[in-house]
Amino acid sequence: MSEAHLTMGAHAAPPMEERPFAIPSKKLAMWLFIMSDVMTFAACVVAYAFTRNATPEWPRPFHSVSSVAVMTLIMLTCSLTMLIALNAAKMSDKARAFRWMMITAAGGVLFTLLHIRDWMGMMSQGVGLFQNPWGPAAFGAAFYSVTGFSLLHISGGTIALIVVAIRYQGGRYNADDIEIVNLFWQFVGLVWLFIVPVVYLMNLAR
Amino acid sequence: MATVEGHGMGKYVAVYLCLLVLMALQFFIGYQNIEGSRLVVRMLTFAIIETILVVVFFMNLGLEKRLFVKFVVFFTLFVLLTFNYGWTDSFRLLLFRLTGFEPS
Repeated sequence: MSEAHLTMGAHAAPPMEERPFAIPSKKLAMWLFIMSDVMTFAACVVAYAFTRNATPEWPRPFHSVSSVAVMTLIMLTCSLTMLIALNAAKMSDKARAFRWMMITAAGGVLFTLLHIRDWMGMMSQGVGLFQNPWGPAAFGAAFYSVTGFSLLHISGGTIALIVVAIRYQGGRYNADDIEIVNLFWQFVGLVWLFIVPVVYLMNLAR
Repeated sequence: MATVEGHGMGKYVAVYLCLLVLMALQFFIGYQNIEGSRLVVRMLTFAIIETILVVVFFMNLGLEKRLFVKFVVFFTLFVLLTFNYGWTDSFRLLLFRLTGFEPS
């Protein structure tokens, strides 16, 4: 064996490249997904706001936003319960982490049901994707697209929470996986905090 | 992999309470008789403060490496800002509709 080979053996290169930003790949992937999802949500919200601004007779159909206030309270509380689950998982308290994740998922289900009820109320007033009893048809399309995209994320996040909780309980996932799903859950909650003022609070009936 | 070790929930509860107060204020402002850009500015100011709280504390971005924080913040803000190039066109459409002007 030559001297060069011996030298290479003593100072062998690491088998893999260093992690970008010194962040685990799964977490980086979730952050990149969230960043791309921010752009999709921003496109939806800006399109909604653009249409609303450009339409003089934009309707203000919301006489009361009490159900939206309850939904917001549920979403914020679920953010906290998810953090309790993450905290328990970090302390290897498996039963507590599982319990709080399931409580969070129950909040997600409740939110979804309230959201569907809200939609049913709008539909019963005649608001469809391409029709609106109060004026511009674009209102229905804009309203259902923005809130529907959010609802899709929250219901998807709820399913993800249940799957991760069950797999964590079964020993297939660990606290790191809960941290990943926590990132997504907090993100969908954050999006709701933008949808409430833009879609509901700025369109309260005067 | 985790960057957050298990610890007390006090910080999270405090942020949660702040978020509740901010949301309550937003609902209060929504019911006030404020119109136009003043309402938009107030609502968005609250929403941005809530975003900072959620991202820094609930998503624990504050505990990540500084380079990663810069990467996330720079690219996200850049894209969000570029979405706002079309507002003048929105006002143009509004003016056309209000005045009944039909561009040929």
